[in-house]
Amino acid sequence: MTDRTAAAATPAAAAPALADLPVRGVSLGHPDTVAAEHWLASLSPAPVLAFTHLVRSPRPHVALTLVFADTAPAGLDAALTSAGTAPASAGTAPASAGTAPASAGGAAGGGGALPAGLVASCPEAVAAYVARSSGRAVLYPGVELLVGTLSVADVLARSAIEQVEVLGGGAADPADLIDTGGFVRPQWQAGRLTLLTSPAAGGRLVPFETRHPTPCCAAH
Amino acid sequence: MGHGHHHHDHDHSHDAGGAADVPPALDLSVPDSELSPADVSRRGFLRSAGLLGAGAAASVLATPSAAAAAGLPHSHGPAGGGTAKGGFRWLAGDHHIHTQHSSDGQYRVIDQAGHGRAFGLDWVVITDHGSNAHAKIGVEKVNPDIRKTREELPDLLTFQGLEWNIPAAEHATVFVHPGRNEVGVLKQFEQTFDGSQLPATNTTEQNEAAAIAGIRFLGEQVRARKVEGALFLANHPSRRGIDSPHEIRNWRDADPTVAIGMEGAPGHQAAGIPAPNGRGGARGLYDNNPSAASYQGYPPETYRTWGGFDWMTATVGGLWDSLLAEGRAWWVTVNSDSHVNYLDQSDRGPDSDFEANGRYNDPVYTGKVNTTAGDFWPGFYGRTNVGSTSFSYRAVMDGLRAGRVWVDHGRLIKSLDARVRVAGDRRAATGTPLGGVLHVKRGTATELTLEIDLQDGPNWAQFVPVLSRVDVIVGSVTGPVAARDTFTAPDTRVVKSYEVTPGARTLSVTYRLGRLDKPFYLRLRGTDGKRTQPGLMGAEVDPAGPKLDVLGDADPWGDLWFYTNPIWVLPR
Repeated sequence: MTDRTAAAATPAAAAPALADLPVRGVSLGHPDTVAAEHWLASLSPAPVLAFTHLVRSPRPHVALTLVFADTAPAGLDAALTSAGTAPASAGTAPASAGTAPASAGGAAGGGGALPAGLVASCPEAVAAYVARSSGRAVLYPGVELLVGTLSVADVLARSAIEQVEVLGGGAADPADLIDTGGFVRPQWQAGRLTLLTSPAAGGRLVPFETRHPTPCCAAH
Repeated sequence: MGHGHHHHDHDHSHDAGGAADVPPALDLSVPDSELSPADVSRRGFLRSAGLLGAGAAASVLATPSAAAAAGLPHSHGPAGGGTAKGGFRWLAGDHHIHTQHSSDGQYRVIDQAGHGRAFGLDWVVITDHGSNAHAKIGVEKVNPDIRKTREELPDLLTFQGLEWNIPAAEHATVFVHPGRNEVGVLKQFEQTFDGSQLPATNTTEQNEAAAIAGIRFLGEQVRARKVEGALFLANHPSRRGIDSPHEIRNWRDADPTVAIGMEGAPGHQAAGIPAPNGRGGARGLYDNNPSAASYQGYPPETYRTWGGFDWMTATVGGLWDSLLAEGRAWWVTVNSDSHVNYLDQSDRGPDSDFEANGRYNDPVYTGKVNTTAGDFWPGFYGRTNVGSTSFSYRAVMDGLRAGRVWVDHGRLIKSLDARVRVAGDRRAATGTPLGGVLHVKRGTATELTLEIDLQDGPNWAQFVPVLSRVDVIVGSVTGPVAARDTFTAPDTRVVKSYEVTPGARTLSVTYRLGRLDKPFYLRLRGTDGKRTQPGLMGAEVDPAGPKLDVLGDADPWGDLWFYTNPIWVLPR
């Protein structure tokens, strides 16, 4: 395992290397980030960088950008390039490659077919990733170290997160404590990977995005 | 422009999705003498139904003369803004209450209404969720309970409504005037326009159009005399960021006699009480983050409450002000959104089959205190105070439609009378009230007179709230926006703050608004002063605005505010 010093060096060292790797944009019609992350978790090998992107049209859904350290899961690229019009095969291609995501197509469009108008490859998401204009990081260097309660300085040192802000209050103090809840999803903000936090009980901060937000109507 | 010319040339681009041409009966620039007998009759009905005049137009600039005098392009609509004068009887109410006919509710109608009446309310609206079960069964089954409640509680006005799943957007209160068609109209509306009843394959554009059609349908039911009134209020508008600015503008324009406003503060105000004695969640249950369905232009601040209020209302120079600065009449309310109440000792009825019966069985006493519920009983915390001409269903609907409304949390103040007057006029029967429009000649001096009876009795947390400060917020009226997703009003700011003298019984002030040179509006806000921070548009706009509520540590009784609806002053 890396020690703190080494971890601190990781993001900076990793960034140029990761930036050189190809980016894949994937749009499987996931209705929300939970479904998109569920599909993401099924990929083997897992990407080293994974972002979710909110896409409005043709109807609201969540796309992903993926960066693999070495090779992508077998079948993924074929699915993306064969997409275009009739991507029933696109969503299920990773599953047919035997790499676990049997639910890929099902989670996305229900029954394996993508909703009309959606294509498996998503240049819009790739453009957002490349420009660092928008996108929410799920997998990024150091994410596995962001558990429990950490200081802002710790979060910056351990991970690729470049800044921590407090909702309605500007930059967080490096000594402030964050209850991570093991769920830390920073976003591109003006080109920097930024974790937005909110004030919480006990003088702590918590990530702005909670793992289980209140559903629109609890019993529906 | 001469009367009778209700068609006129101008740029209609701001009116996309807006109302069609105004029928003669609704166009007050056409005198009665030029109408057909049928149209005279129609106008008489509309006037008596409160559908002409105050608050019945999308914009206070809706008449050509009002707009021309202000030097601004006019909007379509039947008439100008409020014209009523003088004082009113203020009736407190709550337009957002669930019962056992909601899949996430549990109480009987009489449970909610009885508590609401005991806690001081004069009117309530029963708003169970639109759903398959409700559209087929619940919307009918709840009606006998409501009618019985009207008999048992004659001092309470109990409306039947529902909580509409607005296609492509959040929820909304929809309710109608009582009458023999109240169920029929609500049922047809729900089955045709509720988001739960529309094809899942609909595009966003199709759903937004269905929302507009739904609001228009309600107005048509009133004009066809099936019900005497129908109103729409957008509920918890910022909770998930999915009520875009253009949708809100479209709703208002779809039928301004129906779509009148939004919740200035959401319900669920107990949800931030710290654990273990409370839920330890987010005040208002505002703990979401942007989704793919959200309007992507909204900042993260949108998704949280500020002093218990919704970001659209709490931000001086924000979304609400952007509507008011257009001259677009749009009102704010507060409510309980009561489903399951904090510290209650009952539970949903056992052995229920909600889908089959359209309701849960009656609640049962458990003996256990529910500390994780996030709601208050109706009337326990928030009040929507409506300036009414009498104690009646009609008068409450008319007052809401006219925007004669101020709201508070925790009984922060006892009463409020705010009027804009021609300077020096102190007659009791004059003065333009909340929601109204004062038209004066350019150069005329006007002033705000504000009388607040400070609270002298305890609220339902057993303390006497102390008002600390009142802010006067003023913005220029700049006419319709070019971009319908605009959500800022750069010219709106706090122009004056009054500190309340400790121990005082009243706050009585006159604020001179100067000689009119350009159209403007004002609104008022007050606080116990316990939690403030500079506003999101900067300290020069709002030096001490509401503070972001802390997740898991938001004592609702330690952070009280009141807000009023606006008054416009326009040159004539």
